[in-house]
Amino acid sequence: MPDLLDSANSSSGNRPLVVDAEPAPGQRSQAHGQPSVGLQAQSPPLLHFQHVSKWYGPVIGVNQVTLELRPGITGLVGANGAGKSTLLKLATGQLHPDIGTVRVLGQDAWSPAAKLHVGYCPDNDRFYEEMSGRKFIETMACLFGFSRAEARRRAGKCLEMVGMAGRAERRLRGYSKGMRQRIKLAQALVHDPKLLILDEPLAGIDPIGRQEFLILFQKLAAEDKCLVISSHELEQLEKLTDHVAVMARGRIAAVGTVSQIRDLLDDHPLSILIGSDRRSDLARALLSQPDVVGLDLTDGDSLIVRARNPRRFFQDFSHLVLEENIEVRHLETLDDSAHAVLGYLLGGNPNHGKK
Amino acid sequence: MATNLLHYRGWTGQFRGPHFAMLSIARIALSQVLRRKLFWVLYAFGLLYFFMFFFSQYLLAWTESLPENEQSVNIGFFRTNPADFVRILRTTLRIDGSGEMYRNFFRFQGSMVVIILAMAGAVLVGNDFQFGSIPFYLAKPLSPWHYLFGKCLAVAVIVNLMTTVPALVLFIQYGMLTSWDYFVNDFKLCLGILGYGLELTVCLSLMLVATAGWLRRTVPMIMAWTTVFIFFRFLAGALVNGLQMSPHWRLMDLWNDTYLVGNEWLGVGADRIWPPRQPAVWEAEIVLGAVCLICLIYLTLRIRAVEIVR
Amino acid sequence: MQIDKPVTSSSPLPLARSPFRAWLYLVGLSCQRQARSRQMVWIALILLGLATAFIAVNTAAGRWGMDHWRSPQGYGLTYRSWWLAEWWSTRRIPGQMPSAGPDAILAAWQAALDRSGFFVFSDWIVFRTFLSFLLPIWSLSFATEAIGGEQESGNMVWLLSRPMSRPAIYLAKFVALLPWGLGLNLGGFGLLCLVGGWPGQLAFRLYWPAVLAGSLAFCSLFHLMGACFRRPAVVAIVYSFFLESVLGNMPGYMKRISIGFYTRCLMFESIEERGLSLPEKPSIFLPVDGTTAWLILAGLTILFLLVGMVVFSRVEYHEMN
Repeated sequence: MPDLLDSANSSSGNRPLVVDAEPAPGQRSQAHGQPSVGLQAQSPPLLHFQHVSKWYGPVIGVNQVTLELRPGITGLVGANGAGKSTLLKLATGQLHPDIGTVRVLGQDAWSPAAKLHVGYCPDNDRFYEEMSGRKFIETMACLFGFSRAEARRRAGKCLEMVGMAGRAERRLRGYSKGMRQRIKLAQALVHDPKLLILDEPLAGIDPIGRQEFLILFQKLAAEDKCLVISSHELEQLEKLTDHVAVMARGRIAAVGTVSQIRDLLDDHPLSILIGSDRRSDLARALLSQPDVVGLDLTDGDSLIVRARNPRRFFQDFSHLVLEENIEVRHLETLDDSAHAVLGYLLGGNPNHGKK
Repeated sequence: MATNLLHYRGWTGQFRGPHFAMLSIARIALSQVLRRKLFWVLYAFGLLYFFMFFFSQYLLAWTESLPENEQSVNIGFFRTNPADFVRILRTTLRIDGSGEMYRNFFRFQGSMVVIILAMAGAVLVGNDFQFGSIPFYLAKPLSPWHYLFGKCLAVAVIVNLMTTVPALVLFIQYGMLTSWDYFVNDFKLCLGILGYGLELTVCLSLMLVATAGWLRRTVPMIMAWTTVFIFFRFLAGALVNGLQMSPHWRLMDLWNDTYLVGNEWLGVGADRIWPPRQPAVWEAEIVLGAVCLICLIYLTLRIRAVEIVR
Repeated sequence: MQIDKPVTSSSPLPLARSPFRAWLYLVGLSCQRQARSRQMVWIALILLGLATAFIAVNTAAGRWGMDHWRSPQGYGLTYRSWWLAEWWSTRRIPGQMPSAGPDAILAAWQAALDRSGFFVFSDWIVFRTFLSFLLPIWSLSFATEAIGGEQESGNMVWLLSRPMSRPAIYLAKFVALLPWGLGLNLGGFGLLCLVGGWPGQLAFRLYWPAVLAGSLAFCSLFHLMGACFRRPAVVAIVYSFFLESVLGNMPGYMKRISIGFYTRCLMFESIEERGLSLPEKPSIFLPVDGTTAWLILAGLTILFLLVGMVVFSRVEYHEMN
């Protein structure tokens, strides 16, 4: 069963929804059949925020965040200004928390010992423009203390990993946005860190490149690394992982898998689109179900039913259609995506802008 | 559809021409400078000379109003003879409401004006180039000249805040402390102050925008700016005063050139110009004119080139 | 367009890293990157070139001495003409031996004129042009760019995300700027003196330790400003051309707040040791002795460095906007 985390002292009384348990039997990640790697509760946390708050003058950037991240992929999602970048900068030791502590493998994130284990891919687009891509990666490796030969070897490997080996000799100022993004990722990998903080790593990457990146991220996660990926590309994040941390107004609004967080949103019943020839009979039967709170008839032969407790509803639904001998031609959940979950958590219309 | 949802009324007024855009550009540029604490710190330093003149005029008026037989008077913690004090203020500091007083004030403000403009240049123009704001301006229906003159207008406001406006305040104060006839009899001084301010405005704004457009980063801009206004001043002093070379070498000191032309505006005689051994005023005017022309030509060529947005 | 297939990472490579090697690499990288600001380097070299050209022209024309100075200024006879006139006036009566008194005066006058080149060079080139402008501007150009340049270009994140302590980064940046700061200040001073003929060469022999000490102190101070302020170059010029000028010319002990004062004290002491007179009256200038000046300049250099390391280790750098 999912647990509620007894942490944040938020004045509004909203408590973050946290799922801090192993996945249910049979529950698998949407991508490649691997178990969700973000939920290995037995390993010690690689990144630990403890009651962390950060102010920018009178504005609070991060508000009483407590979060533990272990090996695997965790998506960090939230609206603009939610505090994602601030959280990532706290994790990489660029900012000091005003309250609380941030630890990487038990070390203070501000300390050099912690940065040894952190690979950071920032969202800003500034480089040593006069350098070539290869030279830049080698420079970053040398700044870690590797010898030149070692730095060269590592740079070569990382450039191959990100698909830039053939284009690494050009100067950075001549690179496209996507190429610069790859170089950023390569410099984050050059010292083989245990913790990868990736701020919008997919921005500017073409669809084929995104697929390559997703494969790469999963392989890195399979090596027991912890990846924290902040992104607005929710559809891409869903392919990668279903373990997300949702931020809103500086707080962690929810942590867990998308569907588990969805289950906890009692105020927002799940909307399901069902297509059937016997729509009226189906509607009558559904209205008698205890979990159904509403029903809309759409154009054509479909209806939208709003139901609480989706797991139980689907069990009952399957029995119902068998008993009534009703043929179901179409079944689709309309707001079970990260998009919708984010929308509900942040108070927007989850279906706005969706196709 | 989105506009309807906002329930705005449609715009029924008339769009103003692009010339009004210069005012908007100047206003935005000024707000960028004025919101920085560093500007106000520098401005406070710059007001030190103004306050020196301001309170000197006040002390002069007060001391002169004392009875003639008063032998000593307390000035703060000091006791002095009023006659000596008046003599020091009038003859040494030239606090006498004459053109020379205002000329000295403009000259003393030189160092702070240069420093503030160095900062302003980097913020006003350098940032636009460095952070890619130029396309936002050039995408509007106005020519690059409107952009440049808008920036020049912002620089003009800063220059006048440091020089012309305080000088006018001193003019008004002196008149109020002495007699109303001062405003009538010496009204030409007021015009002279405005003329000197105008000369500084035109020269400095063109030079600053040209320099900032050429060297966009802060440190090179500051180096170039201080070279023109400080290094050449030292060098001219060394050549003319130290090595006794021709006074024409002073023409390389542009602040001195504005000073010579300003003397003309304020009607100060050539014998009251300091330091001695100066070039002719018309030579200074030619140099300033040439510098302004070069800046204009450079800006013309600069804005003709297409700015490639990275 | 070729799309390179991503390759999976193999088993992790051993972490053979050396923090000291990283620090040394940062020093080298920062030193190289100072040269990247080509505009700055070019302007510094142009300044040097201009000053050198003017000095060279005057040296070639033999104008360092006061022989050609006129009294009254601007239109009178030259000093050399006055000396000759006096010399002839002592020999007006044929057959009469010139008396010892006037001869001694003339000899002293002659000696003063002969040595005047050094004083003119010192006063106008070293104290007024070099010490008041070139030394601060060359120091601030590179010192403020060390950290300020990284912040302005948005590249600070690459340094701060490396496993290097912040004081070490600050120190590396300082060490990296020294070749440029000292190179231009000492080397530039040397070049100016070299083309200055015998007055310049004497000036270099006497003044180079003071220039070295002053350069270190200025570089350290401006480097600290780079860590403290978002626009350190502006703050640095306020200090150099306003505070140093105002404080340095104040009567009494106020001038002891400025770095230029102690540099001048070192220079003045080196002149005195040679039996030459100071350009400013000691009763007005109130100099400190050379040892004190050295200690203060060295102490300031170390103090600013330590304070900078503390400041840099605590400050959070946000992206410039």
